[in-house]
Amino acid sequence: MAAKHRWGMAVDIDKCTGCEACVTACHAENNIPTVGAGQAARGRAMHWIRVERYYEGDFPDVRVKFRPVLCQQCDNAPCEAVCPTYAAHQSEDGLNAQVYNRCIGTRYCANACMYNVRFFNFFNPEWPKPLQLQLNPDVSIREVGVMEKCTFCVQRIKAAKTEAKKENRELVDGALQPACAQACPTSAIVFGDLNDPESRVARLMKSPRGTKLLEDLGAEPKITYLQKQPWHESDSY
Amino acid sequence: MNAIYALYDDPHVAQQAVDNLRAAGMTDADITVISSEPFDHFEFGHRDAKTAMPWIAVAAGVVGMLLSYYLLGASQRSWPLVTSGMPVVPMWTNLIIIFEMTMLAAIVATVITLLVTAGLPSRGGKLYDPEVSNGYILVGVENPADAAKLEPALAISGGRIKRTL
Amino acid sequence: MNRTATKYIADDLVRPLFQSSVWFYAIVLAAGSVVACGAAAWTYQIWNGIGVAGIRWPVFWAFYLVNFVFWIGISHAGTLISAILRLVDAEWRRPVTRCAEVITVFALMIGAMFPIIHLGRPWLAFWMFPYPSSREIWPNFRSPLAWDFFAINTYLTGSVLFLFLPMIPDLALVRDRSTGWRRKLYGALSFGWRGTTKQWNRLESAMQIMAIAILPVAVSVHTIVSFDFSMANVPMWHSTIFGPYFVAGAIFSGIAALIIAMAVLRKFLHLEKYLLPYHFENLGKLLLLMSVLWAYFVFNERLTTWYGNEPSEMAVFWATQRGRFAGFYWTMVTCNFVIPFIILSINRTRTIAGCVIASFAVLIGMWLERFLIIVPGLATKQLPYSWGNYGPRPVEMTIMAATFAAMILLYTLFSKFVPIISIWELKAGLPSRLDKATLTEASLMSTRLDELGPMPPEGQRP
Repeated sequence: MAAKHRWGMAVDIDKCTGCEACVTACHAENNIPTVGAGQAARGRAMHWIRVERYYEGDFPDVRVKFRPVLCQQCDNAPCEAVCPTYAAHQSEDGLNAQVYNRCIGTRYCANACMYNVRFFNFFNPEWPKPLQLQLNPDVSIREVGVMEKCTFCVQRIKAAKTEAKKENRELVDGALQPACAQACPTSAIVFGDLNDPESRVARLMKSPRGTKLLEDLGAEPKITYLQKQPWHESDSY
Repeated sequence: MNAIYALYDDPHVAQQAVDNLRAAGMTDADITVISSEPFDHFEFGHRDAKTAMPWIAVAAGVVGMLLSYYLLGASQRSWPLVTSGMPVVPMWTNLIIIFEMTMLAAIVATVITLLVTAGLPSRGGKLYDPEVSNGYILVGVENPADAAKLEPALAISGGRIKRTL
Repeated sequence: MNRTATKYIADDLVRPLFQSSVWFYAIVLAAGSVVACGAAAWTYQIWNGIGVAGIRWPVFWAFYLVNFVFWIGISHAGTLISAILRLVDAEWRRPVTRCAEVITVFALMIGAMFPIIHLGRPWLAFWMFPYPSSREIWPNFRSPLAWDFFAINTYLTGSVLFLFLPMIPDLALVRDRSTGWRRKLYGALSFGWRGTTKQWNRLESAMQIMAIAILPVAVSVHTIVSFDFSMANVPMWHSTIFGPYFVAGAIFSGIAALIIAMAVLRKFLHLEKYLLPYHFENLGKLLLLMSVLWAYFVFNERLTTWYGNEPSEMAVFWATQRGRFAGFYWTMVTCNFVIPFIILSINRTRTIAGCVIASFAVLIGMWLERFLIIVPGLATKQLPYSWGNYGPRPVEMTIMAATFAAMILLYTLFSKFVPIISIWELKAGLPSRLDKATLTEASLMSTRLDELGPMPPEGQRP
């Protein structure tokens, strides 16, 4: 039986300004700990969504490209089969679910992920008072030794589905947005149901500007990156 | 436990003693030979060689194989979770664990068979002489009907005859 | 003459159990202290969180996994020597089998600690065990880590039994020569063994079956350990050669560890008459063979990678050959191939000392090889923005040192409680015990004990 929903995303690289509002919003929404300068220098920073900055060309014709990279929610996710405790598995909505309570911290999933979008709690997270008041009550805190990553704000998806069921209606495309999509000032991040052919994300997925990250590796990511390629412009190099 | 036995230091002499006992009317089941090494190349070392141990190991391996096959399938079907697009009961990966469990079953069954057929752990009360540990070979008969008749069979040069009560 | 020789052998090999030199206490104390430091370091890590180690994004596996693969690799010594040589009836194995089997058991125990040490939440390690849980979930049997669990436990069980079964007659011998608490202990451990022909036949049948069974298990164990890496799409991990490559590397490092252990035992327990230069020469030749085989596998892997020129693989390739890991890489090649090849292929340098030097080089080289497989690949994955580096922290180095100390400690303690050379197997190989067909030059060389003559009187024994 086909699933009712299949959540996907389209990220428009031509619109992305690299402001990293998405990163901040994600931290706020998902109770991601800030590890501190020392730990960040040691490579322990946890940014479920990060903005990768690439320079193209030489001075003075330098162009900067920003690419927000987050969990691609792959259909053929390499991270799922290697987890010995089923902490990573495919949910019915096509999401790559991470069950914190089952994670014993082998970190194999992080090694298997080609996109390096999985992050590990090396220490118990701390929020010195009164910062604990900012925590989102809809999202659980992860303890030391647990792997975490972008969930497409599954708590918002669940809440929206519950609301829709309560009111006996379908989900409205565009009303349900993860924190990153909501915060993006240029609306570069578009989220929606790929099973709904009328949704923005389903239509954007078919755009000629669309590519997938590391598509040849066969993980079948569900995030389409929209980017004008040289061959789209007739007068370009 | 009543027994008559002799200790020899040369396996050839021990072989002679065993043959003498056979000539005196003892069956192979009556004759006890105890040593601190196996003496594979002598006839008296081969008397109890026939064993079904390899077949038991194979049978146990088959049992382990079937058990693990069914347990893996049942546990995977009990909560079917999709991981990396693999089937819920993937045969290739299950084969690895089935192989290990087959070998484990065969190994453990072999050890258990050894313990049972060798009579280990032994509760004592059996014929034994600590001199065996110094390299002597013990050839004797437990609970003989007529110990006096057997003494000449064991009285070969190099042997020390003893009796126990 | 025969019994004199056999009694002399038994006396010689049982003596270390009843007499201790200062060295024994010194080694136990030193090794024990380092092990205690390691235990403290691990406690510190559990208390404070795994972040005290050097692992980071994206190098999530480092020293602990390197040591895991290293020790499981060393555990392949016993199986090769003991099982294969038993099956082909090679006479020179007799004094060597127990030394080798002990290495296997202890290396496995040490190696099997690391999957627990490296966990983020080690108190939940028991979830790897398939039991009907109240959470109604079983381990994911598709994961190579689940395969590791089954493989290592099977191999450990098999190796312990493979070590213990031929120990029973020797434990009975020690029982007969001891009094008091020792007699009770060894009496219990030897299961009341007497040595009837039936018991000997059953024991030898069991050993034969175990030898046949343990070989495929050993090959499968290190293949499955290699699957931990080859199943992930990390550049230069996702290689089909990893199975045989790891098994060959394991046997290679195992033989090196065995040579070192035998040389140390020979020195400290005065086993010069039993562990002859001939044995070290044979093992040295095997080590040479494995060194060439290792070089063959490395050449295979490197040539196909370089020829294929796939961008993400080439990044790792150049990082190891010319880049930041180049020092380690060329040290590894020198230690694993150049040094052993030179020392072991020349007859005059293939002495005990030469074999030991080559073996130390091999152990260093093989440790580096595991490091170079794991860390550069993770540090240089497909997306360049997320490349990283790695440096070990004191916790990891302390625990690593403690594992080497643990090996020394366990081995020393073992040789204090059990004869380190299998007495009954050695006696069974004496020329007087063999039939004409088996009496070859080799077997005469391996046990020249029948020519020892009568035992010297009490006061003059070494």
